[in-house]
Amino acid sequence: MKFVFTEEQLQFQETMKGFLAQECSPDSIRLGWQENKPFNTKRWEAICDLGVLGANLKEEDGGLGVDQIALTLMVEEMGYVALPEPIAEQNFLVNDILKLFPEELQEAIKSKFNSGMDYIAVAHPLNPHPLFLEDSKALIMFDNTSCHFLEKGDYVSEDIKSNDPSRVLSRIHEVKSSIQSDQNFAHLNQAVVSRGALQSAALLIGLAQKMLDLSSAYVLDRKQFGKPIGSFQAVKHMLADVAVAIEFARPAIYRASYSLFDNNSKSALHCAHAKYMAVKAAELACKNSIQAHGAMGYTWEMDLHIYMRKAWSLMACWGNDDQQQNTIFNTLRSSNDEIGVLYTF
Amino acid sequence: MHLWKKETLTLTMKINFTEEQNIFRKEIRSWLELNLPKNKLQSLDTKEGFEQHREWEKTLNSGNWSMVTWPKEYGGRALNLIEWLIFEEEYYRAEAPTRVNQNGVFLLGPTLMEYGTDAQKNKFLNAMAAGDHVWAQGWSEPGAGSDMAAIRTTAVLEDGFFIINGQKTWSSRAAYADWTFGLFRTDLESERHHGLSFILAPLDLPGITVRPIPQLDGEPGFAEIYFDDVKVPVENLIGGEGEGWKIAMATAGFERGLMLRSPARFQQTAAKLLSLYLENESKCSPAIQAKIVDAWAQSESYALSIYHTASKLMDGASIGSESSLGKIFWSELDYMMHETALKILGANAELDTEDHQDAAQWIKGFMFSYAGPIYAGTNEIQKNIIAERLLGLPR
Repeated sequence: MKFVFTEEQLQFQETMKGFLAQECSPDSIRLGWQENKPFNTKRWEAICDLGVLGANLKEEDGGLGVDQIALTLMVEEMGYVALPEPIAEQNFLVNDILKLFPEELQEAIKSKFNSGMDYIAVAHPLNPHPLFLEDSKALIMFDNTSCHFLEKGDYVSEDIKSNDPSRVLSRIHEVKSSIQSDQNFAHLNQAVVSRGALQSAALLIGLAQKMLDLSSAYVLDRKQFGKPIGSFQAVKHMLADVAVAIEFARPAIYRASYSLFDNNSKSALHCAHAKYMAVKAAELACKNSIQAHGAMGYTWEMDLHIYMRKAWSLMACWGNDDQQQNTIFNTLRSSNDEIGVLYTF
Repeated sequence: MHLWKKETLTLTMKINFTEEQNIFRKEIRSWLELNLPKNKLQSLDTKEGFEQHREWEKTLNSGNWSMVTWPKEYGGRALNLIEWLIFEEEYYRAEAPTRVNQNGVFLLGPTLMEYGTDAQKNKFLNAMAAGDHVWAQGWSEPGAGSDMAAIRTTAVLEDGFFIINGQKTWSSRAAYADWTFGLFRTDLESERHHGLSFILAPLDLPGITVRPIPQLDGEPGFAEIYFDDVKVPVENLIGGEGEGWKIAMATAGFERGLMLRSPARFQQTAAKLLSLYLENESKCSPAIQAKIVDAWAQSESYALSIYHTASKLMDGASIGSESSLGKIFWSELDYMMHETALKILGANAELDTEDHQDAAQWIKGFMFSYAGPIYAGTNEIQKNIIAERLLGLPR
């Protein structure tokens, strides 16, 4: 038992953090909003140059061979800056389950990896509106019984607007043709559902941490009654509650990433747990952060909503806390042994 | 652009038990099966129950299970924190008796290990492990609760003795304990957290009057201690004169942190709550189901967090104000789980009859769960600590 990160894992996180602090400022995100082009091609290329898009691909597939644990730490940093580009999605929803796709689909997907720059969007009943479809080279679509691979021109779609201007979504109206397979479907589907939950959880905890940091800075700066409002206990306690929620969501996320890495038979439960805890923490971070900012938090001008909007969207994608609750409950119910002092590990 | 360190990843993270740890677990389990008292002990807050629990401490010590992390010369097994957590898991799984000497083994013990002299360690640690000295806490005073720096009980040094005068209150276990440890003002001119010293005193000294205070469950779980010209030898001072605050903060850290509240207790409660729910499912609304999931998810998270923390400590890290996060989390969780149990029990929750002993246990636990957010520093004080020391907000 050694529940600590390796130096290498932490270094991947640090490098990601440093890079994104430079490349993904709130101003750059706002610029994308103004130009109606939140997907920033220049930033995308810089991230791809760094190797992050294929970070978790094997080295022979052109990747860096990063494991799920380091990747989770990197995704947390993508959440922290509200990165608009769908790197985390491709890392977890495509690369990480590549070997589980039926051979035909696997070949089709791999054909898109050549440039190391290409993005493949994913649609699923739990994530019905694929992200940045226009910027993608292909679409992987799950329905309730099978998996499809669609190239441009294989479907008819329209762009739809999200409450988060950083997200361009699409609705698929018609599928004209696709490479389709139901082989290994249950396994593949569970794999993508678990990873959807985990990557959105990791993004959310980064966002929650960012909102807490913004709020702590704001209440230190803002003065009323002649002193910083952060000296009042009502304000302190609100933010302390957020710190507690984040603190106890994080280990659930890290354990879930380890479970995927370790092929743990309970990884579905662990990923559901991670998302459940992350949603609770992010929800509280949104609520208490806007309260700590007062009326300023309710303005378009303040950066807080850049992070809040992304959090609202991600809480719902790949199953919100209510859906995770069902998953957890059904597992607990079907096997009493899942709970209790002997079954955490 | 290659910012990445070009090295093969060596994966040393391992969230599983080793074979040795699994064998250790089995060893504890078999020992407990053989040695657990056949009949449930009376409440440790009754006179008979207290002595029964002291006997149990002696039994534990006879198997070297009193405090597995302590060095062997003090009755321990020199094991690491992960193995301590495994011990705790088996202990709660077996529903073994509450540790009557937890003030000693979990709080004072680690404090002595860090700040005590060899003579003090030799005198107190073995006696503590053996249950010969059961310890009471002596922090709070009528005018010093959350504001512990307002302590006024004095200890004046004269001819090798501290002469103690004043009053302590809410002293856990003091009704029947043998010794107390606490903070006393040794510099009468001092203010606030300056001039305080950490002193140990036997409770049978002339001039000491212990007045038990019945708690919510009717039993005297804590007491007032009056000191009237009590003479305590200077050898009972821990650390230097005036260093009491620093030492007490370290002790409070042990209490809030992982020593006193290992995750097994909450996981065991969550497991029992799930069983209770499944027995009564048809009577419950979906709102209860949500609470059951919350109980599991939070107790699981708490366990993961403690294993994460224990691993970091073993890697040489130290914890400070972070322990305040955990104290809030487990105390609110404990309350929520017991409240949920009472909702499931419905009108039976209040019964204290032969045929409803489960209900009686839940409501006792429920009452006790109200204490969690208060003791070891109220949750409001913990939130101030988090805001000021972790988030950097002004006092």
